[in-house]
Amino acid sequence: MRSILVLAATAALTVGVGLSTTAPAQAAGTADVSVLHAVPGLTVDVYANGKALLTNFKPGTLTGPVKLAAGTYDLTVFAAGKGPAGTPAIEAKGVAVPAGANLTVVAHLDAAGKPVLTAYANDISRIKPGQTRLTVRHDAAAPAVDIRAGGTPVFKGLVNPKEAKADLPAGMVKADVTLAGTSTVAIGPADLNLAEGTNTIVYAWGSATAKNLALAVQTITNLHSAPSGVPSGTGGLVNDSLPLPLQALTLVGIGGALVAGRRVVGAYARAGR
Amino acid sequence: MRRPLVAFVAFLLLAVAGPSAWWLTRPSASSGVPVASVGASPPPSASASGPGPGAAPAAAPAVVPAAGAPSHPPQPALAPPQRVQVPAIGVDARVEAVGVQADGSMALPEPVGVVGWYRFGPAPGSAAGAAVLAGHVDGRGQGAGALFRLREVVAGNTVVVTSSAGVRVTYRVVGKETIVKKRLPTERLFARDGVPRLVLITCGGPFLPELSSYRDNVVVVAEPVG
Repeated sequence: MRSILVLAATAALTVGVGLSTTAPAQAAGTADVSVLHAVPGLTVDVYANGKALLTNFKPGTLTGPVKLAAGTYDLTVFAAGKGPAGTPAIEAKGVAVPAGANLTVVAHLDAAGKPVLTAYANDISRIKPGQTRLTVRHDAAAPAVDIRAGGTPVFKGLVNPKEAKADLPAGMVKADVTLAGTSTVAIGPADLNLAEGTNTIVYAWGSATAKNLALAVQTITNLHSAPSGVPSGTGGLVNDSLPLPLQALTLVGIGGALVAGRRVVGAYARAGR
Repeated sequence: MRRPLVAFVAFLLLAVAGPSAWWLTRPSASSGVPVASVGASPPPSASASGPGPGAAPAAAPAVVPAAGAPSHPPQPALAPPQRVQVPAIGVDARVEAVGVQADGSMALPEPVGVVGWYRFGPAPGSAAGAAVLAGHVDGRGQGAGALFRLREVVAGNTVVVTSSAGVRVTYRVVGKETIVKKRLPTERLFARDGVPRLVLITCGGPFLPELSSYRDNVVVVAEPVG
């Protein structure tokens, strides 16, 4: 994870770089798109509809998010400096980018080790107060895995290129990845600070046979919501209503005024006759 | 005929005097500006919205730097608040970090003499957003809480928060309101953006014995001085 952070900070890209992104207000007709390069050993250029989107893009790097106009994109990936003519190293045609969506496009190996592109929709719905969202994505040339937090499997039998997610209490967890149904650790453990109101997306990438499995982490902040209320008193010492003695006096006053009023009216009636 | 009239007026005065005197002498329910209006973010500008709807998606990918994404530059984590003082109402209380209860409401320290700081939101001294401190106004069997007299606060009063690192932040109260709990604008009061401010919350209004709770919240908003 540390190496990824360093790479992200130093990579020369045509667009902004950053692991920590914010879910911005949705602009009409655009989507927020991040790109993760998770194919080991290949520096690439990424093209969208034949135009350079990212250049000199190194493995383990996550960009974004950038705003793309909503629509359909043909994405192609070439070895750095080799595109955009010719046969791309990786290709994904007709990738739908809906307005208002938050996507991460991942160039990664499939289970058999062949480079592919997968577009994931990131869950940017509001998270309950005190909670965090953990999303895990299997983008490694590896068999099915379990993801464990503190030694307990939280996501079981995840296969490439599927994802799994859950909302959990915020806090630090020690996470690792094991071969499904076993306690054989494939990646990790890694300490993850799952911050409140944040979607932490963990990508398992690399290749089991090449022994370069690794984790990449993306965070989307500002998904928090406020507590539902502030219950802050059970004693009843502050009684912000008319004190009882005053209530009694007021009742006496009203009653007396009614009685006296009737007598006044009666007296006037007699006098007028 | 004379005597009943005098009695009528006297009883009427008695009926009106009690509630009037009570109404005039109790702390006013609000002071200063409406609490939800403080620190409201300006409406999002449309200037950086990128290509208009007419832009053909098949053309250039039109990469626009994500508008406003890093609008809150990461800031060094501040030390949590440890003490809050409101000299005008004699408050000098310890502060503990708190989160939420299972039902999603803010958790408060059990001892009513301790004030809770909502640890998922900004800390006092942050560059943006509302730092929220809340405490029990009282507790069954515990008596009056640290914020018992919060409803007596008025605009202009001073609040001082000291962090565990010894840093003091001084605030001036700009608004106080008593709000029915069901209508508490929590999204505004707990907002993590907008101008830096301090929000103090406790209970108030009529006590509802059948629910062992108060109907209202007393909310005070203060802005940093200097």
